[in-house]
Amino acid sequence: MLKSIKLTAIGALAALVVGQPAFAAGEPIKMSLNYDLSKVYTFITPRVAQGAKDLGNLINSKGGIEGHPVQMDISDHGNEPQRGIESYEKAKREGYVTFDYLSSPVTRAVLPRAMKDGNVMLQAFVGRADAIDGDVFKWIFPLGATYWGQAANIVKFIEDQAGGDAKGKKLAFVYIDYAFGQEPIPILKALAEKKGIDLQLFPYPLPGTDQASAWTGIRKFKPDWVVHWSFAGLHVIASKQMKRNRIPMSKFISVNWMNEVDIKNIGHERAKGLKRSEPIVSGRDLPIIQEILSELYAKGKGSGDETIVGSTYYNVGVAIYATVFEGIRNAIKAGATFPLKPADIKAGMESIRDFNAYGLMPPLNVTESDHGGGGKTRITEWDGEKWVPLTDWFVADPDLVWGEVRKHSAEFAKSGK
Amino acid sequence: MFYRQAGTHHSNYKTDRSLFPIPFDRWSMIAILTLGVLAPYIFSSFVLTSYLLPLMIWVGAALGLNLLVGWAGQFHFGYAAVMSIGGYTAIHATQAGIPFEIALILAGLMSMLIGVIFGAAAMRVKGLYLALATLAMQFVVDWVLTHVPAISGGASATLQAPDMTLLGFKIISETGFFYVAFAWVVLVTLFLLNMRRTGLGRALVAVREKDYAAAILGVNSFYYKSVAFAVSSFMGGVSGAILVFCFYHAVTPEQFTVNVSIQLLAMVIVGGLGSIIGSFFGAAFILLLPGALNSLVAFVTNALGMQLGIETLAHIPNLIYGILIIGFLLYEPLGLAKVYDNLRKYLMVWPFGYSKR
Repeated sequence: MLKSIKLTAIGALAALVVGQPAFAAGEPIKMSLNYDLSKVYTFITPRVAQGAKDLGNLINSKGGIEGHPVQMDISDHGNEPQRGIESYEKAKREGYVTFDYLSSPVTRAVLPRAMKDGNVMLQAFVGRADAIDGDVFKWIFPLGATYWGQAANIVKFIEDQAGGDAKGKKLAFVYIDYAFGQEPIPILKALAEKKGIDLQLFPYPLPGTDQASAWTGIRKFKPDWVVHWSFAGLHVIASKQMKRNRIPMSKFISVNWMNEVDIKNIGHERAKGLKRSEPIVSGRDLPIIQEILSELYAKGKGSGDETIVGSTYYNVGVAIYATVFEGIRNAIKAGATFPLKPADIKAGMESIRDFNAYGLMPPLNVTESDHGGGGKTRITEWDGEKWVPLTDWFVADPDLVWGEVRKHSAEFAKSGK
Repeated sequence: MFYRQAGTHHSNYKTDRSLFPIPFDRWSMIAILTLGVLAPYIFSSFVLTSYLLPLMIWVGAALGLNLLVGWAGQFHFGYAAVMSIGGYTAIHATQAGIPFEIALILAGLMSMLIGVIFGAAAMRVKGLYLALATLAMQFVVDWVLTHVPAISGGASATLQAPDMTLLGFKIISETGFFYVAFAWVVLVTLFLLNMRRTGLGRALVAVREKDYAAAILGVNSFYYKSVAFAVSSFMGGVSGAILVFCFYHAVTPEQFTVNVSIQLLAMVIVGGLGSIIGSFFGAAFILLLPGALNSLVAFVTNALGMQLGIETLAHIPNLIYGILIIGFLLYEPLGLAKVYDNLRKYLMVWPFGYSKR
């Protein structure tokens, strides 16, 4: 009896070893994606998660990263810091190698722990912007442009539109009055002073549904450009207010959080001429997105609704994780052994050179001191049907942006953590 | 059964007025206390840091709010703001070189001062109007935090908590953080247990039941409401400081938004108004259940081999959580504490249930 059990066990084991498909046979690379899927950021996170997961599945079907499958575990933290911390504490004990929260309050709450433990935390477009300073924030990888960088790039665009001299141009900065909206103000103020731009601030209070007084003020100000730091439905309210106050769409530039759903709600025709700052390409005209469609969705293996594939936030997920996978690939190529250590991942990420995430991003160069990868963005315009790039990828006033970054990161460094 | 009263005779006032006259209560309290003291050696470091430590801190805050809402009957929708004042005060004080012990007291005093100023203004109105006035406090504090860089370092800044030294010990380990929070909860619990049988406690209850009836009896209701605001704000401030130093290790305005206030109020109401053990149950229910349900649902769907979309998977726990809250409040509007109380009373006379009346 015992012998037969033993034999069966050995047989099963052998079957397991032999029967494993040839692809992705190595030890899995575990990544924790703990997102807000149920409360505040639900207009972004499910799409980002879908993109990330699809890319992971695609990579796995092609043999994983250097023979190792990626295991992406997506869970919900409901935008509550203590649940993010719980998830982090659990994941770090279970051998996860990257941690991603996609929510500013949760990211800020986990950051001290990730720094203390030395674990790689991703924070694309959320959390503290000064974390691109890799000399101070050794374990934090923002990957992509900061809001400060985006603001500087938008001002540069305005300057270029004015033929290289923005002196005397009127710029209205409209924003939702809390941390996210207030973030670019120091950069805008510094640039306005430097370039002689007449900058005026128009905050509106949370939750942002009442923007009337701000836009009335803007009408009186008669701006040449309106820059809007907001998201989702608030763009739609802004567009109604713009119509009421007869401010043409072509003067409007949005931060990157503006997607197809918002455009649809504004009205495809009505949104014509609207501009946005774009750190990551949207749309399906990219080989990687086509491959996801043909390899996964055509075979019924997609992680969600097919119509979402190629949308703005979906592509954000693909781009972020394409970059992370590249970093891990670098680490394994450089001889990192399993189980992967955070230091290996960090070194791999910091050796990303000219990687454009299959054409989704500007070429990124992540270095030991720059965890943002360069901060390039471009300006695109909605032509009624699709986004048309008005500029090439560019980065403006890096010294000013980095001055602001170092000012804040020095504070962090001083606290000795 | 268990809660045996037979053979327990009180021959003097001292034993009759003791905190736990029934031996089983006394022994279970000692057992729980021992469990708390030994927790770092019994539970894994994950359970300790992710469940027990935040639980202790939130229980401390919920008890402070319960004093105001449960005992004095004054609604407060801005308790997270009170906590944030404590958190920021403690950080600024320690960064200025003030020892942590004193910073902690300063945090409480500062919260008390600001809480009482708002409270005094808010107490000119009652009931729902008071609730709205305290909600205003939440938004005023939020606004100040995001607009006054001198306090918060700017809207998008995060202030790091310096290392913590308490009574000469450098506290850096998980165990240390837990003990600090645990000690605070024990202190608050003892205070509330004793407060119930003092003149202050009785006056608060009188004010809660009917403030002008209390006034006719010679209880100055405005004074006692102010005292309730002050004491509760002090506890909130210290709890906020402990939350920042022991759990988040950093402070940012987003950690103390109106959602947190609502959560705290939910802890107090689901747990049971005016009940100490209820605050423990309520905090556990509101704080730990969503995470636990998440893991449970993920585990069950995995075990059953179900392929659910990530969004569905995230919303099922919320659905169950909502049903549970509604269910508990429908089944027992007096909160989880009452469920426990019913069980205790049932066991007290078991098997002679007819003797209850």
